[in-house]
Amino acid sequence: MRLLTAVLRTIRHSRRLAVGLIILGLMVLLAVFSPLIVHAIGGGSDPIEVAAYEKWLVPGPDHLLGTDQYGRDVFAMVVSAMSVSLQIGAIAGVISTVAGVIVAFVAGYKGGWIDGVLSTFTGILLVIPTFPLLIALSAYAKNVSLFQVGVMISIFSWPFAAKTIRSQVLSLRSRPYVDLARVSKARDLEIIVTELLPNLLPFIGVGFASSALGAIFGLVGLEVIGLGPGGVIDLGQIIFNAISTGALTLGAWPMFVVPIVLLTLLFAALNMINIGLEEVYNPRLRGVAGE
Amino acid sequence: MTAEAPPVTTVEESSRTTPVTGVRAWLSRHPLAAYAIRRFGLYLVELWGALTIAFFFFRLIPGDPIRTLLQTLQQNYVYNQQASAEVIGRYRHEFGLDGNIFSQYLKHLSNLVLHGDLGPSLINYPTPAQDVILQSLPWTIGLLGISAVLAWILGVIVGAIAGWRRGKIGSAIATNLSIALAHVPFFFVALILVYVFAYSLGVLPARSAYDSNLSPGFSLDFIGSVLKYGLLPGLSIVVIGTFGWILSTRMLMVPVLGEDYLVYAEAKGLKPWRILTRYALRNCYLPQVTAFGISLGFIFNGNVLVEQLFNYPGLGTTLVTAIRQLDFNTILGVTDMAIFSVLTAVLLLDLLLPLLDPRVKYWK
Repeated sequence: MRLLTAVLRTIRHSRRLAVGLIILGLMVLLAVFSPLIVHAIGGGSDPIEVAAYEKWLVPGPDHLLGTDQYGRDVFAMVVSAMSVSLQIGAIAGVISTVAGVIVAFVAGYKGGWIDGVLSTFTGILLVIPTFPLLIALSAYAKNVSLFQVGVMISIFSWPFAAKTIRSQVLSLRSRPYVDLARVSKARDLEIIVTELLPNLLPFIGVGFASSALGAIFGLVGLEVIGLGPGGVIDLGQIIFNAISTGALTLGAWPMFVVPIVLLTLLFAALNMINIGLEEVYNPRLRGVAGE
Repeated sequence: MTAEAPPVTTVEESSRTTPVTGVRAWLSRHPLAAYAIRRFGLYLVELWGALTIAFFFFRLIPGDPIRTLLQTLQQNYVYNQQASAEVIGRYRHEFGLDGNIFSQYLKHLSNLVLHGDLGPSLINYPTPAQDVILQSLPWTIGLLGISAVLAWILGVIVGAIAGWRRGKIGSAIATNLSIALAHVPFFFVALILVYVFAYSLGVLPARSAYDSNLSPGFSLDFIGSVLKYGLLPGLSIVVIGTFGWILSTRMLMVPVLGEDYLVYAEAKGLKPWRILTRYALRNCYLPQVTAFGISLGFIFNGNVLVEQLFNYPGLGTTLVTAIRQLDFNTILGVTDMAIFSVLTAVLLLDLLLPLLDPRVKYWK
């Protein structure tokens, strides 16, 4: 309960954080109700089925965004693809945040050679360009589930979270209240869970938002050049379809514009949450990112 | 780890005399050199680690490049006989795919480090992979280098002004726009630019790097054509990059504005422009220099997609082609190239920074 009021207070203090959360919330709602929406569009039958309607229908009252080269309803496709994109973000975000938090705490709290080894390793992973590796992985995994794609992507995105959180652990480790806990013979794990973790929640939130952002971007990137893993239709796949079939010349602009607008909105929302959180918890930055 | 003292010094130290000679003594008198050596040692460790991870990662992908090669050869020469074990063995040796994975690794590393040799490429057999990469490298350096630097300069200038004039409408618009767009992938902008300028208006080309009627050379026509074809891909990198730098520069700028020396400078009656450029900006562009080096890796990732979209003959397109055909040597070469560039850029910037800013003292 105390946590909830604290969260609410935080949101009230930052308009940017609130706007970001609202946009993200609306998108999550849309994703949650996507099966219902898709069902409603189909009116009993499946609107995403191949040859459900005529090919290349222009946007109109029956098909708000028209249909694609297989006669699928673009609006229904966009709604369900968005839920896929969000799920990938959530899966990869959770995995890489958990991995990042563990590495960051071990490195930052233990210090010494453990920190040296872990930090160097994280640094090495950070300089390897992830995109070639990701393309290679997806070529390797042609038929994979949504969850597996999320795992694949988080292999490369945890170092970012680890790096951000480690520097915060370092600064918190030497605070008086941590010393007090240590003097009173609290165990390491106890100190980490009860003293450090709550204070790092905003940074963990930042880590989660950036990992999710990176994951969605990664998958969309793969799909746009037609190298995405098979069996997953996300927003990037629709963009790729639009490009490869020349949808623009056929007047099917929504297939191209709507996914891009949705993803841009999503990126903007996640970034607003990031900056909002940092502003609220880092007094030096308060008002820095500007009114 | 690099600055080991020879035994002689240890003997001298144990006899409690101040060592006049010896590496350790020299290093303690030259902290900057000690820092440079330590930093270079870290660079070597990072480089080795990254190259190793990249090598093993790509080798773990299942698939047989030799089979792909033989298929290509058979298609090209209508040579429809089953390849004998001997031929396969020969190709395996040539591509460095014989023996167990560790001997392959050692061979790859020694060839790369000692001879700069990556082995033959598959996408353009029998041209060596390093030659294939060197052919596409200038295009990527030209496109990526120029647009990344341009984005950095523009972003730092606009970000500084946005920080300086905070509270004004223009600054608020620039900041919020940057927050909304800083993390949008490059290729979204590329897609929109292609749609508007190449497709709707038809004023700029959307494929390739130069007019195919012209032959590469130092003629005015050719350079003009390269610039014209590079405009859209370059612009898409510059636009998004600039927003990112605006945001981070502004964040560095605003805390500086509260400093006493700025109040003093104002009290002295200095012109605002002079305070901005000489007093405020100087304190916040240096962290941005380091950040630039680190960002090169991310820019390379985004660039792969942009090049692919525009069919630009750079490293990104080469990479995607190589991956489609399972050309290990070229894939690894492009990745190694990117790793090497990012690490070297960060190393150089780290070593240069103490010279640029007397306050930076890593070596203490």
